[in-house]
Amino acid sequence: MIEYKNVYTIYDDNFMALGGIDLAVKDGEFISLVGPSGAGKSTLLRLLTRELSPSDGQIWVDGVNLADLSSSEIPLLRRKIGTIFQDFKLLSNKNSFENVAFAMEVCGASQEEIDCDVPKVLGIVGLTEKMQSFPHQMSGGEKQRLAIARSLIHRPKILLADEPTGNLDMVNSYDVVKLLLKINELGTTVILATHNREVVNAVGRRVINMEKGKIVRDQVEEGKYII
Amino acid sequence: MKKSFERIFNAGWTNFKRNSYLSLGTTGVMVLVLLLFSALMALNFLSVKIVASLQEKVDVTAYFKTEASDEEITAIKEAVQGLSDVRGVEYISREDALEEFKSKHSGDVLIQESLAELDTNPLQASLNIEATDPSKYASIVSYLEANKFRSLIDKINFYENEQVIDRVQRISGGLQNWGFALTVALAMVAVLVTFNTIRLTIFNQKQEIEIMRLVGGSNWHIKAPYLVEGGLYGAFAAIISIVIFYPVVYLSSPKVEVLMPNVSLLGYFTANALQYVLLVFSVGMLLGAVSSFVAIRRFLKI
Repeated sequence: MIEYKNVYTIYDDNFMALGGIDLAVKDGEFISLVGPSGAGKSTLLRLLTRELSPSDGQIWVDGVNLADLSSSEIPLLRRKIGTIFQDFKLLSNKNSFENVAFAMEVCGASQEEIDCDVPKVLGIVGLTEKMQSFPHQMSGGEKQRLAIARSLIHRPKILLADEPTGNLDMVNSYDVVKLLLKINELGTTVILATHNREVVNAVGRRVINMEKGKIVRDQVEEGKYII
Repeated sequence: MKKSFERIFNAGWTNFKRNSYLSLGTTGVMVLVLLLFSALMALNFLSVKIVASLQEKVDVTAYFKTEASDEEITAIKEAVQGLSDVRGVEYISREDALEEFKSKHSGDVLIQESLAELDTNPLQASLNIEATDPSKYASIVSYLEANKFRSLIDKINFYENEQVIDRVQRISGGLQNWGFALTVALAMVAVLVTFNTIRLTIFNQKQEIEIMRLVGGSNWHIKAPYLVEGGLYGAFAAIISIVIFYPVVYLSSPKVEVLMPNVSLLGYFTANALQYVLLVFSVGMLLGAVSSFVAIRRFLKI
């Protein structure tokens, strides 16, 4: 359960990224967050991982107010939340296996667990053949699937996807969306921020429209991309 | 715990290997820094030796009138020897002085013949006085001048030596002060250069550090491999600089010995080899790790 309560975010240059957001996301929901660039989609997601703190208002995840977390508890929060980005954010000096393994190492997983889980999750996203490849040796679609594999390794309860298809062609985008839907079916809450009409319409779940830091429309069921 | 340490060390080692080009540059800079440290150590050793040998060469000689008896001079010698500032006193009798003079000029026929024509020994007895410190000569001389035996002393060569003594004192003082200042200044430059190089190396991996935080890496888990990496730069730099430094010492040591007999640079660094190697290793690794630590702090604020 994620709850935004009257959340404001004002950046240092006095730009108001979010102006009073009230939003509740139930466990296991799939939400498409749409709107033009600068609408506040990314800010909304970054608040959830405590990369940013709100200027005003509260954010609750599973009954915990994020403002109450100490700096040593933030890594623990981030392990409950998987994140994927438009620019993949992979470690360029680590190969596929190590990129995924790193996320497990920081949790204190044993080498046996790593050797067992990493090939499995790479298999789920279809990268078994690319286990030893470095990011620069992979295509855009493969990189995003690797990023998804990394975000899944903790079995997170929440998956945040910030423009995951922004750098991909239609075919690869569709693969990524299928993967996200599959993950959601297994019980993970997915929040997908995008301005790709085809992607949103293909998903067909709850769609939230944002504009200038505010929620302007919330289609709870079988939402479509509407401007 | 052991496994976690092993993993951190492996991560640091992998970073070091994969950034080989950058590692080479950073290690190179640190090699220069460590060689500079070594050179400063050698310079320090030499300057101490130079000062010591200069100070040994300076002395004051009191010449006695020919009528002064052996007993009287021996009494003065004992009195002078009792002074706390005096390191040693050597008595040269008139006969000794003549012998020395003869042997010094044994090849010179003219001098030998002139000496043979003299009935009496023309040379004076003297006391050679060495002070513990060049600055003490003035007080020793004034003691001699105020002494009741003053009438027996013909002259004291302090006034001729005064300038030389003064200069030796200034040079040795300057050498020590400036040597220290130079060492400190160069050491600071070395630390800054190393720090900056490692900072650039880490800055290059800024995005990676950000990602590590995003996947839930704890601060310590992110930081530790970089500390290991910094330490590795230091360790490799230490090995390379030692491999360069010893042959250089071996080659330059004979040249130094030509200038300063009895001073063996090679001997010094062989006798203290273990301390030297330990020092270079610890300076290198500490410099690397501390630089990494400071540099990475900047990227862990999110």
